[in-house]
Amino acid sequence: MTSLMDHQARETVGYSFSESTAGVKQHGFYPYTDNGGSTLGITGSDFAILAGDTRSTSGYNINSRMVPKVFKIGGDDETGEGANIILSVVGFAADGTALKERLDTVVKMYKYQHGKPMSVSACAQRLSTILYQKRFFPYYVHAILAGLDEEGKGALYSYDPVGSYEREQCRAAGAAASLIMPFLDNQVNFKNQYIPGSGEGHALVAKKPEPLPLETVKGLVRDAFTSAVERHIEVGDNLQMVIITKAGIEEVYHPLKKD
Amino acid sequence: MPGFDFSNYNRNAALHARGVPLPKATSTGTTIVGCIYDNGVVIAADTRATSGPIVADKNCEKLHYIAPKIWCAGAGTAADTEFTTALISSNVELHSLSTGRDPRVITCMTMLKQHLFRYQGHIGAYLVVAGVDPTGVGLYTVHAHGSTDKLPYVTMGSGSLAAMSVFESMWQPDLNKEGAIALCSEAIKAGIFNDLGSGSNVDVCVIEKDKPTQLLRNYEKPNERGEKERNYRFPRGTTAWLNQKVISKEDMKKYVTIETLSGDDNLAAGEKMEVDV
Amino acid sequence: MAINFKDGVILGADSRTTTGAYIANRVTDKLTQVHDTIWCCRSGSAADTQAVADIVSYHLNMYGVVNNEAPSTQVAASLFQELCYENKDALSAGIIIAGYDPRHGGQVYSIPLGGSLHKQSFAIGGSGSTYIYGYTDAHWKENMTEEEGINFVRSSLQEAIKWDGSSGGVIRMVVLTKKGAVRHLYLPDTNYTGPGVTN
Repeated sequence: MTSLMDHQARETVGYSFSESTAGVKQHGFYPYTDNGGSTLGITGSDFAILAGDTRSTSGYNINSRMVPKVFKIGGDDETGEGANIILSVVGFAADGTALKERLDTVVKMYKYQHGKPMSVSACAQRLSTILYQKRFFPYYVHAILAGLDEEGKGALYSYDPVGSYEREQCRAAGAAASLIMPFLDNQVNFKNQYIPGSGEGHALVAKKPEPLPLETVKGLVRDAFTSAVERHIEVGDNLQMVIITKAGIEEVYHPLKKD
Repeated sequence: MPGFDFSNYNRNAALHARGVPLPKATSTGTTIVGCIYDNGVVIAADTRATSGPIVADKNCEKLHYIAPKIWCAGAGTAADTEFTTALISSNVELHSLSTGRDPRVITCMTMLKQHLFRYQGHIGAYLVVAGVDPTGVGLYTVHAHGSTDKLPYVTMGSGSLAAMSVFESMWQPDLNKEGAIALCSEAIKAGIFNDLGSGSNVDVCVIEKDKPTQLLRNYEKPNERGEKERNYRFPRGTTAWLNQKVISKEDMKKYVTIETLSGDDNLAAGEKMEVDV
Repeated sequence: MAINFKDGVILGADSRTTTGAYIANRVTDKLTQVHDTIWCCRSGSAADTQAVADIVSYHLNMYGVVNNEAPSTQVAASLFQELCYENKDALSAGIIIAGYDPRHGGQVYSIPLGGSLHKQSFAIGGSGSTYIYGYTDAHWKENMTEEEGINFVRSSLQEAIKWDGSSGGVIRMVVLTKKGAVRHLYLPDTNYTGPGVTN
């Protein structure tokens, strides 16, 4: 018989909703930690930048004020000299390091076996494979890969933890991604910006995005981080910027607020 | 009915049981400290308020007034510290008026602990109560569950461990006013720099025998905001719009009275608004 | 812990209060006065035991004023038991009551978690007590002198502090006799040998 009323007998009275399964407590080992921090990447016509803060956190504690998140991939020695690809990783730092080490090895092996450096697009596809191999025990990181493509243009690929990837103009990742990404949309891709007086209502012409010069991008990156530091507690200490051009890789550090 | 309104309790419990998360209160991460000295007591606090990992307020006030010579530093849920101290401040003043005596720190501490104990920790106020009264100098901590401690130097909040490490290594029994202020400030800075829940500036309150209480708002500002590299002023007309409507001052006057003040912005505002720059 | 001795009772306690692994107070006074010569040792939740002790203290002071006579230790213990038993599901409090009154001399009562009341010649409680059941049992003597009693309490607590991570700091003691209450303090700096009487 159908009824509008719920006639189910209940053990207790006073609640109009089903009792939760509270009381059954499960305890398990959780192998992941969120180490906070934020990264961001922007490309131009002949360069790519990857940047990240150097703070490593766990909970309300600071593990270290100097843990770089951007790495040179496939260099000839431990300094990364000779590399033409850079990788940033944010999320669980231990997985980040493990992932970087794996990719670095793969790119080195490629060079030894083929006698030529790996292209950025090939490396991007390989990184996706590495991430997807751990589909059911993922590397808990948001990775961004950057370099110069076959035409010498800045190339930037961003990944989710299980290997889904996409080539983009710019990307922010990590703790303050939700603070930085809208800023990048507006300042790099000129989203929500229109050309003044170009038309009325729907006829108004949107500002066309164009590759930005290196100095402009450096300024945007620094401003994005000094702003993120103001409003996100896990971001701070130092800013690491790695710039890749045809001249090579330049790495600069910049102090950030330490509170 | 006086007190709290529980009319949404059942609905919220039902929602929570079905997986709707509780609303995030502005709170918790804080460093607050207190320290007595030969002739009075100093309390201090950082000025960061957080909501999860986001900084909700970069320069909030965590030093609360109870009575002219009794002040309170609050950690925990912002609303709870605010309302609990306001309530006790009110009751302390009524008590003082009815007895015709100056309020005592221990009275205030007892009222706080009894109020918080009644609510079994659901009121998330963690307080440092300090002051000077006819019986001398008083300094106490009050936990949300209603327990209290009486000590010569105290710390509370998520930065309490960082701050206590400063006290445990630098505190000495015969501090003067300047020494106590410097020590409290140093302890707060330890919290600001080593605890992510604490940040921005140092607020200090000095309560001394036979002297008016001094509230030293932003006593130290070790985290000034830097200059931006680029200019983010948009040319007029950058934002899209679909239609516009202009309401003239004459039209407005049909509904409200309009008074034109002199051109000076500061005069017009009456009191200058606090702006985070 | 609290013990009976020839001339009255001795209460003793360490001074550590913890919140998780953090020592919130290293010089806590867990020996709380509820009347002139009736004191208690608090263990369990600090908030609960302070609230209970405050209420009992209020009632005993009222009793003293109304009857123009100091309450007996048994009256105090009954008040504690009433609160601890009737609110057993809301409280986490283990309390030892010790007092001296001219009619009954020194008495020691213990109220463990459920709110039962036990009159004992000596009582131990709290997290560190499990480590010293054997020690106290082996060294206990009826009708000790004050000096023997103090040494018994001090060495027992020293043992509890040594083995229990949740106990530590200084040793506080209160001696209750017909002469009133006398406080003692023993510091870890001198291996708990002094300074002794502090008032």
